[in-house]
Amino acid sequence: MSETSCYILDNGAYTVKVGLSSAEPKIVPNCIMKAKSERRRPFIGSQIDECRDASGLFYILPFQKGFLINWDTQKTVWDYIFSKECCPVNFNETALIITEPLYNFASIQEAMTEIFFEEYECQSLLRINATDLAEYHYRKKQNNQCTVVVDSGYSYTYIVPYIKGKKYREGIRRIDVGGKVLTNHLKEILSYRQLNVMDETYVINQVKEDSCFVSQNFMGDMEIAKKKVSENTIVKDYVLPDYTTIRRGYLRDVVKPDEDLEQQTLRLTNERFSIPELLFHPSDVGIPQMGIPEAIIHSINSCPEENKENLLENILLYGGNTLFPGFRDRVYNEVRSMALDHFDVNVTLAENPITYPWEGGKLIFRDPEFYSFCMTKEEYEEEGKTLAFERFDI
Amino acid sequence: MAARESGRVKEAEKRRILDEAARKRRARKAVEALEQDNFHEDPHADLVMSKKIPKFADSNEKPTRKKKSKSAEYYKMRFRKTFAQLVEEDAAFRPDPPNYLSAQAPPSNFPDRHFCAVCGFPSNYTCIPCGARYCSVRCLGTHLDTRCLKWTA
Repeated sequence: MSETSCYILDNGAYTVKVGLSSAEPKIVPNCIMKAKSERRRPFIGSQIDECRDASGLFYILPFQKGFLINWDTQKTVWDYIFSKECCPVNFNETALIITEPLYNFASIQEAMTEIFFEEYECQSLLRINATDLAEYHYRKKQNNQCTVVVDSGYSYTYIVPYIKGKKYREGIRRIDVGGKVLTNHLKEILSYRQLNVMDETYVINQVKEDSCFVSQNFMGDMEIAKKKVSENTIVKDYVLPDYTTIRRGYLRDVVKPDEDLEQQTLRLTNERFSIPELLFHPSDVGIPQMGIPEAIIHSINSCPEENKENLLENILLYGGNTLFPGFRDRVYNEVRSMALDHFDVNVTLAENPITYPWEGGKLIFRDPEFYSFCMTKEEYEEEGKTLAFERFDI
Repeated sequence: MAARESGRVKEAEKRRILDEAARKRRARKAVEALEQDNFHEDPHADLVMSKKIPKFADSNEKPTRKKKSKSAEYYKMRFRKTFAQLVEEDAAFRPDPPNYLSAQAPPSNFPDRHFCAVCGFPSNYTCIPCGARYCSVRCLGTHLDTRCLKWTA
């Protein structure tokens, strides 16, 4: 078989990164949303862009705690993605790479194999972890031996050490904090302190994306955030969208409001940096786990002695949460302070933190051995699902 | 002579204090709330979305494919399992670590930090009845008026 492109589907719990390897990836929300304003139709995936009033959006998500649970929702979203409306594909001619979460449960794995061979009639299929694709991408560029991949996504943050291209399972660490927890926490504290926004997950997620940053000196920033407005460099107002003149809210300096505009604003002080702080101190909201830098060290310490030095030199960050300004520097500084002095520490933020694994899929397709990683329809019909468990290291 | 009486001491004896179990239950509920997809109810729950209504945008051609695609509803029934069931199943499938449960990051070696439940700034004081943290008398007042024992679990 020699094909010019394959179809890559990085099936995240919040967004799907999808496209033919010969084109640019599309980012599609992996959910069905219902709007208060439009009673007739649910919005599937990117259809939400057509929604005029995104207040009070109701989410129906296929993933729960990072695992594919609601198959009816996922099937609807996939059908939309594979249709002409989004990103059409013919699986008879095109190989498929699809990502799955680490330690994906056996029955979900079986269901994945079944649905893609029987429902979508794939010819060749590669099921793989997104961290594997990211590590492959990084290794092809750096030519290194060992990598620590930090995937900070919607449902949780995974830290996975790789030694010579293979994941070292004893070293995998999961922190149960992801973008969803951050948004929900922001929603909770804003609703208590200022304005009830409990129904506005979609809008508050945008507030989080537009306003939050990772503090380099947490207690110092707390002191600044306490000061009165004229001396306070952190306090900002967030102008909320009203869906008539403003479609997306924005951050602005604290100014005397223009009464005529009747804009609704949120005053943000310590919220701006105490939200991303949860990734570094989950215990701040009562989740009894280590933060990212500590877990990186904990993970590396469980690896063989001779690889530790190389692992510290190749720490790779990707995923939506790594987009917070200051994220990389904070991880670097804390890992540096906890690592042994005579080791070098190197922390890299992926150039496109959202699509980095997808780009890795593009590279793995060009690997001369690509088809030996895949499973074909004939093999599936011959040997069934057990072969999938042997071939795919999920 | 009657014993000396202090209004404050009397008051304190009457005051309800949440026990350890209730505090833990509250903390667990707070963490669970962070996992919710939606806070509100489905706005269209009472609407019946009819699949029979033709979508006029679609072309009139009959689908030519022989194989009929299965409905989303079929897969919902076919692979119906809750998260808790799957975790239990995994314990049988991958009984020895490393597995899903063993990968969870352990508690931090650094002490917990405390923040005011009202304003979010570092706090030095603990509310006696419920154990929440506060930073100033003003925040304590807000806390007692709004949350402290108002919705006791």
